[in-house]
Amino acid sequence: MNYQTPSLRRALAADYAIGLMPPTACRRFEQLLLEDPQLRAELAQWQDSLMSLTELLAEQPVPDRVWRGVTARIDPQTPQLTLRQPFWSWLRVTIAACSLVAAVTLGVIYNRDEARYGATLRSADAQSWMSIEAHENYLKIRPLAFATIEKNRSLEMWVIPSDGKPVSLGVIPSGGDGKIKLGSAQKALIRESITLAISLEPEGGSPTGQPTGPVLYKGVLSVL
Amino acid sequence: MNGTTARRGLTSGCNRIVGPHDRIVWRKAIPIADTDQLKHLLAQCSLGDRGAFEALYRSVSPRLHGVALRFMGRADLAEEVLQESFVRIWNNASRYQSHLSAPMTWMINITRNQAIDQLRKHRERPLSDLDAQMLVDDSPSVHDQLNSSRETTSLNRCLDRLEGMQRQSITIAYFEGLSCSELAEQLSAPLGSVKSWIRRGMERLRRCLES
Repeated sequence: MNYQTPSLRRALAADYAIGLMPPTACRRFEQLLLEDPQLRAELAQWQDSLMSLTELLAEQPVPDRVWRGVTARIDPQTPQLTLRQPFWSWLRVTIAACSLVAAVTLGVIYNRDEARYGATLRSADAQSWMSIEAHENYLKIRPLAFATIEKNRSLEMWVIPSDGKPVSLGVIPSGGDGKIKLGSAQKALIRESITLAISLEPEGGSPTGQPTGPVLYKGVLSVL
Repeated sequence: MNGTTARRGLTSGCNRIVGPHDRIVWRKAIPIADTDQLKHLLAQCSLGDRGAFEALYRSVSPRLHGVALRFMGRADLAEEVLQESFVRIWNNASRYQSHLSAPMTWMINITRNQAIDQLRKHRERPLSDLDAQMLVDDSPSVHDQLNSSRETTSLNRCLDRLEGMQRQSITIAYFEGLSCSELAEQLSAPLGSVKSWIRRGMERLRRCLES
């Protein structure tokens, strides 16, 4: 087809703008758009005229929850904090306190499996946190109540050695007892003053072996 | 209007219960900033300026909400569309090309694309019981809505110049995201006629707006 005929270009841009182009033609047209600034300008003019169809629509007040939804989508650190109602904050603190008591109790009972290092990982705004205990063969994470992430996301734990390149310690299980087992190479990285971080990743963990999503929690290990 | 009520599964008064934490803010919306201000805000957004993004949101969200509601016909779906549109505006702010389109056109287009995607998804999915209960269509039709708020603008003058079928097919194509054949079916008209109504109508509309 000869895309250089002005009338044809105009007609195609019109079809595309209003959405009447079949899918395959659509993709071809989009390819042309990339290379052809004049075609883009032609399309923009059609879009301008069509936009006039919305000019007569009345503005609608927007409920506050929409803005909260937007910020939750673009900034995964904030949703748990801003959306959380007082009851849940209170519940979370209670759960954290209870699990701390349980941890201490269990720690006393099973002192042969003592935690060697501990860390408090905090969110960027320091308003939410979780505690990590590094045992000989595994990491123990508390509380797990933070995990109000989207279904198709996972939280992944990283250790950041002195050379700065994060090494994955694994995906934090969404249920269970909050344990991440450590392999021998990972165990070797766990020591005092090393940084741990938790990032938001696609379900099942980072596909690249390096963090791809935002870091939600971060903290430094110290000797217990 | 013929036949348009048949597929209005999505269009109805909304039964959503508004919770205590979701009170609607009725305070006067900030008036839509002028084009230069919006361009400036979008440029700031592309640099990651959250303050600018919030200012942009406060300024244009009531307008985009009106657009989303027109497309979706249901408050809960319109809010989803509005939310996703702003996520896209934030993520794609750096792709906005100010020499090609006005900021409002760009943002309305994002909202429209988002709305049409959702409409198509809902059309492909069979109606649930809840949706079926909501089938009663008490929202204004395309024409009622356009007619009810008519003001004396050049736009009205231009729309008035369109023939009935031209105007109807353009507004349905624009607001419902139907393919040509779906449109022909809905208007009970031959495909060729529908295409030519739209082409001629759009030409006439654009020439009139440009004059």
